[in-house]
Amino acid sequence: MILAVADMAFPAGWIPPYNTLVVAAGVASVGFAAGVVGCFAVLRRRALAGDAAAHATLLGVGLAFLLGGGRRDLPLLLGGALSTAIAALLALVLIGRWTRTRDDAATAIVLGVSFGAGITLLSGISARGIPGSAGLEQFLLGHTAGLTAADAMILGALSLLTVALVALFLKESTLVAFDPLFAAASGWPVTLIDYALVVLVAVMVVVGLPAAGAVLVTALVVIPPVTARQWTDSVGVMLPLAGLFGLVAALSGVAVSSAVPRMPTGPLVVIAASILLTISLLIAPRRGGLARWLRARRTVAAWAEGRLLEVALRLEVQGPFTREQLLAKAPGAAADSAFKRLVRSAAIEPVVTRAGTHAWRLAVWGRELAAERSRRLAAWTEVLEAAREDARGHLTIDVPSPEAILGAARMKAIRESAAAARSASGPA
Amino acid sequence: MSTTSAGLEFHDVTVAYGRRPVLWNVDLTVPGACLFGIIGPNGAGKSTLLKAALGLVPLAGGEVRILGAPLEQVRSRVGYVPQRESVDWDFPVTVTDVVLMGTYARLGWLRRPGPRERSLAAECLDRVGLADVADRQIGRLSGGQQQRVFLARALAQQADVYFLDEPMAGVDARSQERIFRVLSDLRAEGRLVVIVHHDLRSVAEWFDAVALIDMRLVATGPVAEVLTPENLRRTYAGRLDVLDEIGRAVAEGGRTP
Repeated sequence: MILAVADMAFPAGWIPPYNTLVVAAGVASVGFAAGVVGCFAVLRRRALAGDAAAHATLLGVGLAFLLGGGRRDLPLLLGGALSTAIAALLALVLIGRWTRTRDDAATAIVLGVSFGAGITLLSGISARGIPGSAGLEQFLLGHTAGLTAADAMILGALSLLTVALVALFLKESTLVAFDPLFAAASGWPVTLIDYALVVLVAVMVVVGLPAAGAVLVTALVVIPPVTARQWTDSVGVMLPLAGLFGLVAALSGVAVSSAVPRMPTGPLVVIAASILLTISLLIAPRRGGLARWLRARRTVAAWAEGRLLEVALRLEVQGPFTREQLLAKAPGAAADSAFKRLVRSAAIEPVVTRAGTHAWRLAVWGRELAAERSRRLAAWTEVLEAAREDARGHLTIDVPSPEAILGAARMKAIRESAAAARSASGPA
Repeated sequence: MSTTSAGLEFHDVTVAYGRRPVLWNVDLTVPGACLFGIIGPNGAGKSTLLKAALGLVPLAGGEVRILGAPLEQVRSRVGYVPQRESVDWDFPVTVTDVVLMGTYARLGWLRRPGPRERSLAAECLDRVGLADVADRQIGRLSGGQQQRVFLARALAQQADVYFLDEPMAGVDARSQERIFRVLSDLRAEGRLVVIVHHDLRSVAEWFDAVALIDMRLVATGPVAEVLTPENLRRTYAGRLDVLDEIGRAVAEGGRTP
């Protein structure tokens, strides 16, 4: 879809001018940096603080515009935005420290007050028709069309700088984000590192303003990290991956908005980011919804099959058994379909009786399967009794072989200690 | 370790949260090289006492000395195992990553762990019996395994004084024994191990000395002398029915270091 729109924007054979290319590169690095920096905001559970900072930027943009005598100079406006963003974060810290207001309430207050003030100021400016104020509302929802190559280079450079800082202090940031108590106890300046990370988020929020706007820029900081977390269990992979998702989201948003006149970039960037997020939430291996659902289903199915085999092994002692007898001894929602699967895989086979009733028995390999499962369960029970931690750490519902997981030597030791315990507690 | 100075000293330590004192006038001296238990009921200020020693809560009064010096001078010789609930176990790091964090303070700013730190981490994991889960994400461990990851990280700090906050919470008997064995080894190597603990039954078996606290210090000294029915009653103020029984059992069978 993005490609199709890009085709609309750039007809075949058309080479984009220098300015377009520079702006695209600048926005790409903004998206990348927002994803990278956002990781620690998400991991440290500070995403909402970033949102408050983002909403406070409008006030700074308006103030800087007035102070600069009505010039629409991007570095000046962003400087103003950064100062009110940091002021908002400071207000959060102070409210937390000196009043008994809870974090979420404090965030909502700072966000609402600063955004309200910002909107009031910008409306006032535009109502007076101050020359040059026409483009200010672009900071509300983002609009990259007006960016010059020089602006884009500044944004790109700031982005790369923040990425470099995060990469440089990756070890320290990870430590503080994971276990601040331990970090403080071993002498790290936790508060300083925490504040530095929050300021980096504020910087990224400001740098992302032209691309996504004050209202939506947090999404660019928060959604890519959450998307990346779906795919990896390692911080070292999560950071670049979040950067990549942010880059793709930012670029596609900008490409689409440049094709449609007067279309703000912010909402498009967020839509692109949330498409990636939705896909990841659904199909990511292990953490994805689909994988979880399948795993839950497979779990129930595997257990039901195992139970049926186990019961069949016991019933079989008295000859062939009926389906009803089997299901009565191993009830459960999944039992019926499990029975069908066992029949289809020929683990259970029909027996022809004189009366013509349907009776069943275990096939040879079904019997082996059932016997092996019973043996494993008995072994796991031993492990559970002698070494509970091992059983709890390793036993899964598909009943794997304990020898394969714990090793033959460990199993032998467990058996011996179980035997010793039995003879110690048994009758003298 | 110097033989003249005590391992850990609290002088008249008072800690307050807001206007409420949670610990007052604690005067406590712990000799070097032993397993020392801080025992008391819920909300007695056990964890707070540990945090006060580590500089994690501000003192309203008094001072703490570790190995005869203020904390700032000996921080690199202090190891810490926080409570397991204090972190998010869904955090995207592996078991080895967490253990390596024990080497960070020694590495200092910007330097990354290298082969030396990695082999130290592997060795520490082996000591607590977790070598086979070294590459697992930390959320995919049982509670006792997570507790041992924290212990391995503390071992990687290569400290002389260890502080452990409820290291046996949610840990089964076998893991508990394994953890206690590692701690005993530390003592045998001449280190001081201070443990916040709540299970009175295992105290007599493993600890050399204890302090009974309930907002103030009730008693301190060798296990057999401290865990008397009278002291337990003053600490738990009738919150346990089995107190006398345990006290008597301790007095009869407890170890005297």
